[in-house]
Amino acid sequence: MIDFDEELKKFHPSPEVEDAESTIRALDVTDMVDLIVHLEERTIIQ
Amino acid sequence: MRCYNCGAELTINPFCTNCGADIREYRRIIWTSNQYYNDGLTKARVRDLSGAVVSLRACLKLNRTNIEARNLLGLVYFEMGEAVAAFAEWVVSKNMKPDKNVADDFMEEIQSNPGRLDTINHSIKKYNQALAYARQGSLDLSVIQLKKVLQMNPNLVVAYELLGLLYLQAEEYNRAKRILNQALKIDRNNTRVLYYLKEAEEGIAQRYSGEGTGLRRRRSEPRASTDAITYTSGNETIIQPVNSVERGGSSTLLNIVIGAVIGILLMLFLVLPARIRSANNEMNDQLKEVSDELNVKNADIEEQQKRIEALQSENNELKGNIGDLAGNSGMAERYDHLAEAALNYIKDPNDVTGTEAMLALIPVGSASANAVSLNIESIGGLDPTIYSQAFRDLYNYLDNDVASRAARTYIDRGREEFENQQYQAAIADLLKATEIAPLDDEAWYYLAESYKQAGDSVHATQAYSRIVNEMADSQYADKARSNLSNGAAAEDTGQTQEQEQTAPDTAETTENTAAIDTDALAQALALQALQAGAGAGEAENGAE
Repeated sequence: MIDFDEELKKFHPSPEVEDAESTIRALDVTDMVDLIVHLEERTIIQ
Repeated sequence: MRCYNCGAELTINPFCTNCGADIREYRRIIWTSNQYYNDGLTKARVRDLSGAVVSLRACLKLNRTNIEARNLLGLVYFEMGEAVAAFAEWVVSKNMKPDKNVADDFMEEIQSNPGRLDTINHSIKKYNQALAYARQGSLDLSVIQLKKVLQMNPNLVVAYELLGLLYLQAEEYNRAKRILNQALKIDRNNTRVLYYLKEAEEGIAQRYSGEGTGLRRRRSEPRASTDAITYTSGNETIIQPVNSVERGGSSTLLNIVIGAVIGILLMLFLVLPARIRSANNEMNDQLKEVSDELNVKNADIEEQQKRIEALQSENNELKGNIGDLAGNSGMAERYDHLAEAALNYIKDPNDVTGTEAMLALIPVGSASANAVSLNIESIGGLDPTIYSQAFRDLYNYLDNDVASRAARTYIDRGREEFENQQYQAAIADLLKATEIAPLDDEAWYYLAESYKQAGDSVHATQAYSRIVNEMADSQYADKARSNLSNGAAAEDTGQTQEQEQTAPDTAETTENTAAIDTDALAQALALQALQAGAGAGEAENGAE
């Protein structure tokens, strides 16, 4: 049986057009390449 | 492929030939990212949109600069009804690659239709409101809102998911199944939708299996009858017929027929009378317009008839003027008489009687006045309103020179004829003399004598009376008076005899009688009688 309340928690409000700017700013665009660069920089510093 | 460290073009070597960075891991990451992109593209092509979203997100987590993957992710979001999320991906893509980016076309196409964008945004707001209702426990309101959302934005997959969940919660498994199947037409492999669909099918299966034993109905639907399903939604208990949705074809056909009959009846009793009334009103309006136009036309016709009458009268008047000018007694004729008189005078100035006869043909007044015989001298010449100055000058010149001489000629001829006892001829010439010279006593005396000798005592008496009354100082006045007193002229008339018998035979009585005869009116009558007598005399001469 489905737990209605638990399922309902999985739904999130959909971003509206007025919130588009904040949505774009909140977008996480970091990727694995950034992670490699970061790790290499830390290695070099150490 | 470029080096993540320095941006130089990489070769087949496992390191960057420019900066020496180890690129083996980098290459694996890029390769894996591309694999995810390919996977996402494949899923998108088979409308596994949610699977494509997962793959493309993984792709971008490995390599955020994969522009194609980001643009495709935005496209998939848009297809799932998530317009704002799609825009966010396209904007980021555009930021990373400003030139030759297909995201430009996507955004431009959507922005070119503001109405569609507004509808999508409105549907998203309603979805958020429906979600809030659901969290507050107002499931019915949430269902209503979600139905509106799906009418406005039929691709919003999350709305299908939420509506399916609400139907499942309400144990409306058939509806839930139908809604979730619609969601699968958009997103074929949506995990959540499939999960809910499985629950719905299980619920339907349990319901049908429970009908045989009656156990489930007693547990979950204790008060429901065999024809209805009862469930609780919030504080409300909803009773729904089992076969309320699935209806037979015959009942549908019957409903259609009934609806058609009702429609026809409505047409007959409501629509048609209104149309007929409207048509009648329109006809009346047209009739009124035509009547107004007819009145205007009639008024025009009357006006035209009045104009025709005015023109007709003007035409008649002009015709009369033409007759005055060109008729037998018209101005042209008068000019001819004057010209003939002038020509006769020039040829033979001594032929005064001929010239005078021609001048006598010219009337002093207009053609209408011509019927009345007028004396030129009595009115002082020609009418200046009819004749021109030149006409009148010539006429007066001829008349002044000819008239006296013509009168003298007639008198001399008349006297000669009188003495030769040609009395009728004498009367004719002397009458002409009196016409030309009405105050010539000699002409009147010999005229009276000629009448007397011709036996016309009446005209003789009148001529004597004229001498006595109008020319009293004349040398012939005494003779005329003597003739009147002798009653010679009245011997032949009974009236004269009666006067002689009743009146005293004295000079005074004769003068009184003459005074009575000198009335102006009597003179005019006498003159006309003399002229008539002259005409009769001429006729007698002609007969002889």
